[in-house]
Amino acid sequence: MNVEDYEVPEGLYYSKDHEWLKVESDVCRIGVTDYAQKSLHEVVFVDLPKCNIDVTSKQPLGTVESVKAVSDYFAPIRGKIIEVNDVLSNKPDLINKNPYTEGWIVVIKPENLEEIKVLMDSTKYTELLKSIIKE
Amino acid sequence: MKYNNGVYSLTLKTQLFQYHEKNSHLVDFADFKMPLWYEGVGPECLAVRNNVGIFDISHMGRTFVSGPDAEAFLNYVTTNNVTTLRSNHAQYTLLCNSEGGIKDDLVIFKLGDSQYLVVFNAGNREKDFNWIQKNSKDYKVELKEASNETAMISIQGPKALATVQKLTTTNLSETIRFDCMFAEISGKECILSRTGYTGEDGVEISIMNASVNDPSKAVELWEDILKAGKDYKIKPCGLGARDVLRLEAGMCLYGNDITESTNPSEARLGFVVKVDKGNFIGKEAIIRKKEDGIKIKRVGLRVIGKGIPRAKCKIIKNSENIGTITSGTYSPLLNLGIAMGYVPIEHSNEGNKVSIEVHGKLIDAEIVGFPFYDPKIYGVKRNS
Repeated sequence: MNVEDYEVPEGLYYSKDHEWLKVESDVCRIGVTDYAQKSLHEVVFVDLPKCNIDVTSKQPLGTVESVKAVSDYFAPIRGKIIEVNDVLSNKPDLINKNPYTEGWIVVIKPENLEEIKVLMDSTKYTELLKSIIKE
Repeated sequence: MKYNNGVYSLTLKTQLFQYHEKNSHLVDFADFKMPLWYEGVGPECLAVRNNVGIFDISHMGRTFVSGPDAEAFLNYVTTNNVTTLRSNHAQYTLLCNSEGGIKDDLVIFKLGDSQYLVVFNAGNREKDFNWIQKNSKDYKVELKEASNETAMISIQGPKALATVQKLTTTNLSETIRFDCMFAEISGKECILSRTGYTGEDGVEISIMNASVNDPSKAVELWEDILKAGKDYKIKPCGLGARDVLRLEAGMCLYGNDITESTNPSEARLGFVVKVDKGNFIGKEAIIRKKEDGIKIKRVGLRVIGKGIPRAKCKIIKNSENIGTITSGTYSPLLNLGIAMGYVPIEHSNEGNKVSIEVHGKLIDAEIVGFPFYDPKIYGVKRNS
């Protein structure tokens, strides 16, 4: 699915803060959306959280920064951070190049996977983007 | 908010707005809709360091000052010595309030006997004009606010002069830094100067009779410069690159690094304050402050490792908050975080290691001198 220039892959879950979440059996891979990376442009630094920490939903995990902008990213679901994409330390621009694949940021093992229901599917997120673009 | 012809308008536009709207990512800056970046802040910064870039700076304030007392008047309202400024040359200087705080930093261009152009920061257009007008009562001077009747374009980088030379018969190789003069560029009457805000050599051009209501001259010159610089891979540059480039060069941004409560010596701008000239606004306060002793100083900070300091971050030494970052960014040239801020004199030595609190975490940084880049490789003093 696409909204203007923004890619919104089907099968992922989305937060209002423009993060995506991909369910991989009992864990969730998380990153920022194409819209988020295009709004930031030229990501030059990603502040990564520590592994093995418990996080609550909407807790700020770190920042994604371009030369002139800083954007917080949040845990879209409650759980434990079990993996962090350390490659971003040296290649932060992977977020621009492949936001939905190589540009992932963390993997969270959710406390209760049912809680993804509060997130949007690709259709709903597409609607959100359309309303943002209209403004 | 501006009141124009019976309506309040939230934003102002420069003569080149249509180009920016079509080609750039826009940002609100000092009441203006300005380009933040076109291709991207990184490539635009590198274009200026390695080749040439072009900036719309029409949002800056321009006031012509003339009349028999013009020199005496400018000596009274600004801190540098206008008497030593020769015709066809420009001078960096400050407007101070009576407490010696900085009202603005600006450039005065001497165009002829008793004829000057004063260029202010965009955000201070009205404040500065009202201030100098208020202080002009005892002087035989004429002040002509010309910001909306002129446009201003800056061409910066090692290929800037070669680019502009293609469009004018004025021999730029016979000019030196800070020279200025009337010149015809691409058939348009302009004021040209070897000035800028990037640390690189370059040219700033004020286009005469180029009103916001009839922007054709400004648009034509902008397009002509882009064509003239094509062989040098010229790039249009936005305010993002402008801010990074001035910070890499160690130059102040008014509102961030200097404000009405900043004393020039604290900001290390004492070199443009000439206390041995006649009376000027702020003189007594500046002398008094110097006698009392300057306690804090503006310094450069270079991050060791990762992380990007931003304005308002705390500077920490031995667990103690010793100062605040006033500007910070990522330098695409140096590939690391750089910043400036104020620390007590005793902590201001180059090489001193400090920490900066960024998003709740401490990152290591070192106090360094300006510019941040190697002046043998980049900037006006590079070995060419």
